Amino acid sequence: MKLGLVVDLDTCVGCHGCATACKQWNTSGTIGPLSDKDPYGKDPNGAWLNRIRTYEVGDTPNSKTVHMPMSCMHCEDAACVTVCPTGASYKRSEDGIVLVDQDKCMGCNLCAWACPYGARELDPNEGTMKKCTLCVDRIYDEKLPEDERKPACVLTCPTKSRTFGDFDDPNSEVSKLVRERAGKQLMPELGYNPVNTYLPPRNKPVAVKYETTGIAGKVKGWVNKVIAR
Amino acid sequence: MTSQENRIAIVSDLPEFEDRDNQETKYTTCYMCACRCGIKVTVEDNKVRFIQGNPNHPINKGVLCAKGNSGIMKQYSPAKLSSPLLRKPGTERGAGEFEEISWEKALGILEKRLKRIRETDPKQLAYFTGRDQMQALTGMWASQFGTINWAAHGGFCSVNMAAGGLYTMGHAFWEFGDPDWENTKYFMMWGVAEDHSSNPIKLGLKRLKERGAKFVSVNPVRTGYQAIADEWISIRPGTDGIFALSMIHVLLKNQLIDDEFLIRYTNSPYLVVNTPGVKGDGLFYRGESDNPQVWDLQKEAYVDGNQPDITPALFGEFTAPDGTPLRTAMSILVEKYLDDQYAPEVAAKECGVSAEDIERIALEMAHVAFKETITLDVEWTDWAGRKQDKFVGRPVSMHAMRGISAHSNGFQTCRSIHLLQILLGTIDCPGGHLAKPPFPKHVPPGIKPAKTNVPNTPLKSPPLGFPTCPEDLVIDDDGQPLRIDKAYSWDAPISCHGLMHMVISNAVKGDPYKIDTLMLFMANMAWNSSMNTAQTLEMLCAKEDDGEYKIPFIVCSDAFNSEMVAYSDLVLPDTTYLERYDTISMLDRPISEPHAACDSVRIPVVKPDRDVMSWQEVMVEMAGRLGFPAFTKDGGERKYDSYKDFIVNFEKEPGIGFLAGYRGEDGSKSLRGEPNPRQWEAYEENEGFFEFELGMNQRYMRHANKDYLELAKEAGWVGSTDQILIEVYSEKLQTFRLAGQGLYDGPMPTEAHHKERLVKYFDPLPIYYMPLEEQRIDRDEYPFHAVNQRPMFMYHSWDSQNAWLRQIMNQNYLFMNRIAGEKLGIEDLSWAWVESHNGKIRVQVKLMEGTNEHTVWTWNAIAKRGGAWGLSDDANEASDAFLMNHLISELLPVKGDEQDRITNSDPVTGQAAWYDLRVKITPAKEGETGAWPEFSALKPQPNASKSPDMLSYSSHKNVNLVRSWADTLFRGDK
Amino acid sequence: MHPAFSVLIFTVVSGAGYGLIFLTILGHLSGLAVLQNQSLLLSSGVLSLVMISGGLLSSTLHLANPKNAWRAFSRFKTSWLSREAVFAILFYPFALLYLIGVWMQGAEIAAVFSLAGWVAAVLAMITLFCTSMIYASLKTIRQWNSALTPVSYLALGLMSGGVLLLMLQIMVDDTASDVLKNVALALLCVGVTVKVIYFFWIGKPSGSSIKTATGFTQASVRLLDQGHSSNGFLNNEFGYTVSANKLLRIRFLAVAVAFFLPMLLVCLSGPFALVIATLAMLAGLLAERWLFFAEARHVVRMFHGDQSV
Ligand SMILES: Nc1nc2c(c(=O)[nH]1)N[C@H]1C(S)=C(S)[C@@H](COP(=O)(O)OP(=O)(O)OC[C@H]3O[C@@H](n4cnc5c(=O)[nH]c(N)nc54)[C@H](O)[C@@H]3O)O[C@H]1N2
Ligand SMILES: Nc1nc2c(c(=O)[nH]1)N[C@H]1C(S)=C(S)[C@@H](COP(=O)(O)OP(=O)(O)OC[C@H]3O[C@@H](n4cnc5c(=O)[nH]c(N)nc54)[C@H](O)[C@@H]3O)O[C@H]1N2
Ligand code: SF4
Ligand code: SF4
Ligand code: SF4
Ligand code: SF4
Ligand code: SF4
Ligand SMILES: [Mo]
Repeated sequence: MKLGLVVDLDTCVGCHGCATACKQWNTSGTIGPLSDKDPYGKDPNGAWLNRIRTYEVGDTPNSKTVHMPMSCMHCEDAACVTVCPTGASYKRSEDGIVLVDQDKCMGCNLCAWACPYGARELDPNEGTMKKCTLCVDRIYDEKLPEDERKPACVLTCPTKSRTFGDFDDPNSEVSKLVRERAGKQLMPELGYNPVNTYLPPRNKPVAVKYETTGIAGKVKGWVNKVIAR
Repeated sequence: MTSQENRIAIVSDLPEFEDRDNQETKYTTCYMCACRCGIKVTVEDNKVRFIQGNPNHPINKGVLCAKGNSGIMKQYSPAKLSSPLLRKPGTERGAGEFEEISWEKALGILEKRLKRIRETDPKQLAYFTGRDQMQALTGMWASQFGTINWAAHGGFCSVNMAAGGLYTMGHAFWEFGDPDWENTKYFMMWGVAEDHSSNPIKLGLKRLKERGAKFVSVNPVRTGYQAIADEWISIRPGTDGIFALSMIHVLLKNQLIDDEFLIRYTNSPYLVVNTPGVKGDGLFYRGESDNPQVWDLQKEAYVDGNQPDITPALFGEFTAPDGTPLRTAMSILVEKYLDDQYAPEVAAKECGVSAEDIERIALEMAHVAFKETITLDVEWTDWAGRKQDKFVGRPVSMHAMRGISAHSNGFQTCRSIHLLQILLGTIDCPGGHLAKPPFPKHVPPGIKPAKTNVPNTPLKSPPLGFPTCPEDLVIDDDGQPLRIDKAYSWDAPISCHGLMHMVISNAVKGDPYKIDTLMLFMANMAWNSSMNTAQTLEMLCAKEDDGEYKIPFIVCSDAFNSEMVAYSDLVLPDTTYLERYDTISMLDRPISEPHAACDSVRIPVVKPDRDVMSWQEVMVEMAGRLGFPAFTKDGGERKYDSYKDFIVNFEKEPGIGFLAGYRGEDGSKSLRGEPNPRQWEAYEENEGFFEFELGMNQRYMRHANKDYLELAKEAGWVGSTDQILIEVYSEKLQTFRLAGQGLYDGPMPTEAHHKERLVKYFDPLPIYYMPLEEQRIDRDEYPFHAVNQRPMFMYHSWDSQNAWLRQIMNQNYLFMNRIAGEKLGIEDLSWAWVESHNGKIRVQVKLMEGTNEHTVWTWNAIAKRGGAWGLSDDANEASDAFLMNHLISELLPVKGDEQDRITNSDPVTGQAAWYDLRVKITPAKEGETGAWPEFSALKPQPNASKSPDMLSYSSHKNVNLVRSWADTLFRGDK
Repeated sequence: MHPAFSVLIFTVVSGAGYGLIFLTILGHLSGLAVLQNQSLLLSSGVLSLVMISGGLLSSTLHLANPKNAWRAFSRFKTSWLSREAVFAILFYPFALLYLIGVWMQGAEIAAVFSLAGWVAAVLAMITLFCTSMIYASLKTIRQWNSALTPVSYLALGLMSGGVLLLMLQIMVDDTASDVLKNVALALLCVGVTVKVIYFFWIGKPSGSSIKTATGFTQASVRLLDQGHSSNGFLNNEFGYTVSANKLLRIRFLAVAVAFFLPMLLVCLSGPFALVIATLAMLAGLLAERWLFFAEARHVVRMFHGDQSV
């Protein structure tokens, strides 16, 4: 199994819903807490597993705004795992989820250095590395209702721009989306083979103009039609 | 997305993640904003584990926004108030010196004061509420108290949209209607950054894009929703009216209108008296009857325009038997908008949208409306009892909000947009703009604003209503305003939500009179919800010569240590949304969806750990203590022992109460029925909401749908089953205009500027005019428009106390177009001065592509006073963030004429004109950094909990997933 | 990259220690005449151990959760940091054995001690190489991800070892031999050459840009909002930014102080000059190492708005 997310850049409005859903689920979840330094003071700064960035593509007047949510891509060639000296970071062989064993991490930051996607953040209180767990504690928890065994960010996304599934299964929804919408990896040239895939903005629908006769009607040109009220 | 596909087989070697036996799931309604999503809260040991969307809920269908997902941090905010507070005797208002008092004492103080006011001069109590959701209760309370000085936030929020719609078609944008997301093929969004329907809009946009429908956004700024629009129209602020009317010009020029819709459902065939300068001009021709007349093409006679089966002429000029010249309303309309002033080439110069685009978009919409019509083969019965075999849908839809409403031409612009929808026949049809029960109502709803002021006596009608002619104004015999906010006066005759933004200013000036007590609920008037904040703070502290405050007593109900708290004399701490009972009532604007009437409740999910009481409870308690008739039995004893009890047993009329669901003794009745003693339990069992699905035959054309209207009457939503006629031409507005012209048999203004405003702005057909501030300032001196946007992850001032949300944003920038900024020599991230006719502020600038060249903007309400909201004195919100409010005056720019002291609002509705602001921008000097003006930090409350330096929230001990030693030591690269 | 002071100290000081012990053992065991002096060998050995240990200790200071530092030995299979840790520890028994030999037997040591010496020397270089590979293996930081990184770590380690050795000689022996002088000068030349090549090389543009990072390869891409107002962990770790001018000045300073000044002083000879040469070199190398971090630009920066790295 190769689990991961597909994120639709055509519909993401950058609402940050997925980011805070992630924060609230995971702060009490398996890698939690996700601490916040100076939460009510100057420059508050905490550990988040999912951040939303906004870009403008192109120059005035031909530009576009794009919101890009980013969390761990659960890379197939995850250097964050290979560099980790303590073995705290690992990639599950069953499903490819990359996790950090909080009991083992020594907070050396090396894995964060190895990650091109900014997916790892050091917890300011605990000194251990935090990252997206793909909500392993939701997707496999049999005590949750079946429909809810999905990542918190996917469940919450108000534009349904996030889809979770198995990229190894050609019939899964994620595989289909990647095929149909020409899904892209970010920074493929680095060779990490990120599993998470981004769907680029769609082509604009073609709108048809009403074929007009070309004769501009004048006020007097209107004719009453007999229409019953 | 089906859940099926995303389910993953269980892998064996995972531990039990957390002990769920210890957890409880409860359902209630989110109140991180006014969207009112259903939430499912997992609680353990009175601590919140997780808040998620309720998948069964009609509003959000399981999804939540960023705020909703951060409820935990609101619940555990250090800014929560923890007991009633009384300003320390001898200290100044604003100094924030309070003593803790008991509820008994607090309620005693309030009771004594209110009792005296009620016995003497009830209007001495001004009771105003902010972004609340309980206007049905607070409004009723005010009526029972007997004060006309009540309103909610609508006047500074979006009354232009409410009035624009309710005076046109009986429903509206805002919370009154939605696009038909499932069927629309062309969607145009005007001036919306987030709105109240925040999750439904997002869900809707996704559906729409999936279906390949076209999404056009009209907005000077391209962020959020506009980012995913297929076409972004970068309009110059305040000019949407001309853009819409110019599209109407294009449609009319090409004769692309839905004449059948106009004839059957609107007043456009009505005959209008055409006698300029003479009394009666512009009113409908009624002949001998009470009803407006039309010309019947088959009978070739004047007939009563409201009858079925007539064949009215849509166009034409006629002469009445008595010689009165007449024209159909439609003829006036066609002549008006075919005028060259609405030609795309002319409009383009004003609004900045190219003539080609104006024409193209109009024709694209016409194509979808008339060539891509959809039909639903559903039998229904029209208002006249005639069977119809299908609903015809013209799948063009629109949504508009504060980008339209927060301008002083917003009412007419809103009407212009509705007119565009009406001409295309897209009202309440499949794919069009749908109403949400209890709307539509008759045009306008039949409630008149109260005018009375009698001691110890409830008002005869609610404080707010819908005037239809000058007689309905709330003015005295001299034409002077009776209300403290001057609502329903000649300044703003149709101000049907009041003018909350004027209360403090007027009360301090004693214009029209002084008040005794100002009672605020959920309104941060000492900061982000006032115009001209710095001066408002001074006004709140202004004293008479004798040392008494000009506003003698200020009471506020707040749940948090907001800026307003420091400026109050008595502070009544509210519960949080997770701690209280509440109703989102059908008597107000409930959570309905177009196809279902819905309402909902809040049910406590955690127990408060402080000495707090919900405002609902305070209201019921006070009503009992003061002996309001509706709250007491004949003998004078109290009828209701609590809010819960009140909700269950109160009946507005037989069978109609605050909650429409599970009525009748056994809970089997919907919409109307006797009180059900187990109603709360029934709501609780149904996950906190009630949903009444309309039959397929009741879902569209509800303004003329008998089956629907009968239901609506039974449910008390409308007063009669008569057709709700769409008013393309507003005779009601014309009566005011006639008053302005001196041609009215009834109250007429005496001051010249009032006359002028009535004549200019009360056009019975939608018009465009330059916003008032722009008319009164030097446009070259102040070359930029300055507007705000709601961030999707912050609700006004509520969320800077939220440890998670404030990390997303604790500083706002002044955004401007990169090229415009470069022209002024302003660098990205540099500091600059922004100046308006009213004042100046210093801000940090961010240059971007997606902003109209003539516009600068910022996120709303990010700045805070240091010390407020549990924040440290040096929090970024206090040092780097800024409020645009300082630049906005509550009065029109001074020009030395009699309009100088008139409210900076829409002249029709009194809607606060926040976005009319014009500014100039100059780079700050070297070393000039940080936001300005600066404000001293506020003091923490005596019993405030200390804000921690480090936060590691978890509802239980986290369960780690452990990697095995063997795997750690021996696993290779993969 | 944010230059953590503890890491600068660690790499410079322990690098010099490894270089020193390597050169000492190499010279000693290959029979170089000037290195058959027991007190010189002992003082060099002790100094290098002190420097290495001090450096290693300093490196743990940047751990946020040092109580788990011992676990760093467990991922020898893939992690260069783990390998470094393992080799660093392995080095100690051999180095100590060798020094015990020298201490007990003088310059003429038994085979077992000299074998230990050879192993220690090799381990010193391997450890230094592992350290360099921690950086060189990171594809996310182009300025590090190159053979030049291990080459320069080794060259600079040896260079600083060479200068240190020369200085020790004059302190212990009162003379500075020509051979050690020439070795030091040669290593200084190698060092400066490697570094200058490195400085030129990192000027080349890389294949990644904000366009490949975001996937929008057809048009310009600008950051509008990073999603959080105040800087977070990633900004602090990777967002370290120094003006190009300042970097250039520090480059000149580092090259002058780490290489040319020591060269001059080595030529001048004399105990004072050589102490100054050593101190200058170490200070210069600290600046060089600071640059190594300050000029390294992590690809994450592009997500935060940098056009390229
Ligand atoms: N997250 C969140 N949601 C909220 C709120 C909140 O504070 N936060 N507040 C709630 C409240 S009280 C309200 S009233 C609603 C308001 O919801 P919105 O109507 O979405 O309000 P604004 O954020 O004021 O957005 C106004 C939009 O209009 C644009 N605009 C400004 N001037 C013009 C103009 O002249 N023409 C056009 N076409 N566009 C213009 C602005 O760029 C902006 O995008 O949101 C409600 N929902
Ligand atoms: N510059 C500028 N100013 C604006 C606007 C703009 O676009 N630009 N928009 C305007 C609009 S549309 C609106 S609606 C207003 C909103 O204005 P308001 O409704 O006045 O402001 P809010 O900031 O929403 O919050 C009011 C108070 O409610 C309190 N509160 C929160 N939760 C609770 C609770 O559970 N119980 C009680 N009792 N109190 C609670 C908060 O602590 C806060 O003090 O702002 C207006 N101000
Ligand atoms: S919740 Fe969905 S729409 Fe919102 S930022 Fe995340 S992905 Fe985008
Ligand atoms: S995104 Fe980063 S943290 Fe996640 S697997 Fe890839 S390299 Fe590792
Ligand atoms: S920070 Fe923790 S998880 Fe990351 S490399 Fe170091 S020990 Fe491993
Ligand atoms: S999958 Fe879970 S952990 Fe990962 S970003 Fe989504 S919510 Fe966060
Ligand atoms: S939109 Fe968000 S904050 Fe508003 S009610 Fe829904 S979940 Fe709550
Ligand atoms: Mo509002």
